[in-house]
Amino acid sequence: MKLTDMKQDQQGVIRRIGGDEHFLNRITAIGVTEGTTFQTVRSDRKMPVLVYLRQTLIAINRADAERIEVEAR
Amino acid sequence: MKNAIALLGQPNSGKSTVYNALTGSRQHVGNWPGKTVEKNDGFYTYNGTRYTVTDLPGSYGLSGNSDEEVITADFIKADQADLVCILVDASQLERSMYMAAEFAQLNKPAVLLLNMMDVAKAQNKEIDHKLLEKRLGIPVLPFTAAESGGYEGLKALFARELAQPHKLASVPEIPAGGDVQAESEAKYRWIADMLDGVIRTEEKRFELSKRDRRLLSPVGGKLACFGTILVGFLAAMFICLPLMGIGSMIPQLLNKPIADLLNGWHVHPWLVSIFSIILPNTVYFCLAMAGFVFGVNLVFGYLEEIGFLARAAYQFDGLLSGLGLQGKAICPILMGFGCTIGGACGTRVMDNWGQRMLTMAVVWAVPCASIWTIIPVISTMFFTPLQTMLVILGILLYVVVLMTVVSKVFGRRLVSETARSGMIMELPPYHKPHWKHILKEAFMKAWDIFKRALRTVTLISLLFWAFSYSGTGDVADSLLYKIGTAIEPVTRIFGLGWRTFMGFLSSAFAKEAVLGVLNAVFVGEGTVLDATFRSAFNVATDNAVLGQAMTDVVSKAEALAFMCACTFNIPCVMALSTTYRESHSLKWTARIAGFYVCGALVLACVVYHIASLFA
Repeated sequence: MKLTDMKQDQQGVIRRIGGDEHFLNRITAIGVTEGTTFQTVRSDRKMPVLVYLRQTLIAINRADAERIEVEAR
Repeated sequence: MKNAIALLGQPNSGKSTVYNALTGSRQHVGNWPGKTVEKNDGFYTYNGTRYTVTDLPGSYGLSGNSDEEVITADFIKADQADLVCILVDASQLERSMYMAAEFAQLNKPAVLLLNMMDVAKAQNKEIDHKLLEKRLGIPVLPFTAAESGGYEGLKALFARELAQPHKLASVPEIPAGGDVQAESEAKYRWIADMLDGVIRTEEKRFELSKRDRRLLSPVGGKLACFGTILVGFLAAMFICLPLMGIGSMIPQLLNKPIADLLNGWHVHPWLVSIFSIILPNTVYFCLAMAGFVFGVNLVFGYLEEIGFLARAAYQFDGLLSGLGLQGKAICPILMGFGCTIGGACGTRVMDNWGQRMLTMAVVWAVPCASIWTIIPVISTMFFTPLQTMLVILGILLYVVVLMTVVSKVFGRRLVSETARSGMIMELPPYHKPHWKHILKEAFMKAWDIFKRALRTVTLISLLFWAFSYSGTGDVADSLLYKIGTAIEPVTRIFGLGWRTFMGFLSSAFAKEAVLGVLNAVFVGEGTVLDATFRSAFNVATDNAVLGQAMTDVVSKAEALAFMCACTFNIPCVMALSTTYRESHSLKWTARIAGFYVCGALVLACVVYHIASLFA
């Protein structure tokens, strides 16, 4: 499933990140890598997705979050 | 040995706090060669030796291709620094160590600063920095940048390391093949190895604080952000009012004594008017600017440090990304409704120079509080109250149009496609404010603006003086009148007669001056010079008399065109000067000023000719 499909407060693992090199550089530099566990904190319509990951609250804009495949656990 | 230290760290790592604390006012701001990225150099002296400090542009990594990352990587590779100080956030150690992992590839002398120890402590995190130091092979210093206590120790550490540098003993093993994801995973593995047993914390489910639940909700949060910024603006005004009050007394108190004194010496009236009117007013203008800058920096410094700005950025990112702006731009834009100077210096919170310059250009489109004091007065001279409401509504609608146009016209050059990409940012935990540090930075910034603005404002004031000076006190004897009447055939194209055109020119100087200048040219009371420079002590304008005089010679279409031209002209000479001082770019400030003058005239032209069809 996509990161944007996660429900509020659901926990999961990042499975696959798609996108160009520029995006991959940015998203991995902030700590989002494949295999990282995370918790969805908020996911409101038309708003960036808020995830908690590596002890950091991170906002990822919705279009980019669509490119991140996750697995709920 | 040139003793050059470079500060490297992610956004929110406290890099600029350390930079400002080390260098104080001994700073130089410029641009990196050929790039629109701000370059900050400064120096300090320790035990008689001079050390230079470069604040490298903030980014989350070094391997990306953004200007910031390329500049930083090249700077370090070219050995422009003898020692690199890597700042990491101790409260988010694992994630912020990524910068150290990126740096490790460059194999240069370094120290690691574990910043925000106070926040880490508040979160019950314990860090064994000795163990980390042993593993990394470089000194690791626990630190709280916003507290002044640690800086002697930091300077001593820099001195020691410059004499006997250390390089990282352990480096991530990067797999070949150039796969971005595999590389960064290897870096995080290295970080995990380094931090194994170093950090003790209770791992628990994350829960938003009560404040965040409110501030991050889609509708309520936006309202709360609006409210907070509004209160922040009022607070900034409240802080700067006393300073402005003192400033406004300067021309009042000095004008007459200086004039009397100089007249007594039979000095040429030119010099009398320069020394008795222009100079005291310039000091007043600059004090007023400094007051604003102080108030805004205090409030914004506070809002940024406690973590509010990041939340506001999250809330408004969707709305503003359409303009090519970051969510953070919401604060300066809203401030612009109060005062453009405040808005322009509020852009300091933006991440990079291009974003800042673009935000300043957009803030100029926002009509400030002074405009709302003159437009209703002029409008009611010509129109019914209902029509006046329509005028105001029309102005507000055009603000949105103009903001869009400005961002389209300047956005492409100022903000590259890569910097435009969507928001990926951290929302730092709420911090306690360190007031001493916030106050000091606000004061430094205000003092800096005051010193620099004196020159710009004096120059522009003298120019305006030269044009509006009239030996006899009669408007018809000023250069402004002669030029104004000579080019009236041209200004008529834009719907403006020579009188309203003068009003338009004065609106670029100060919006407060507009009514006084209109009074001088329409009623003939007072000189343009007095009206412009003494708006501070209000040469009382009788609006009824002015209204009568204006409606006699000005058509409704011209009045409408005039109001539009005034509102969307250059905000004022102080906003112009602040923009120049904050952006350090004469070229871009002039470009934007030119755009606004032309834009205002074109708008006036369109409005006039359309309105004439109906009149």
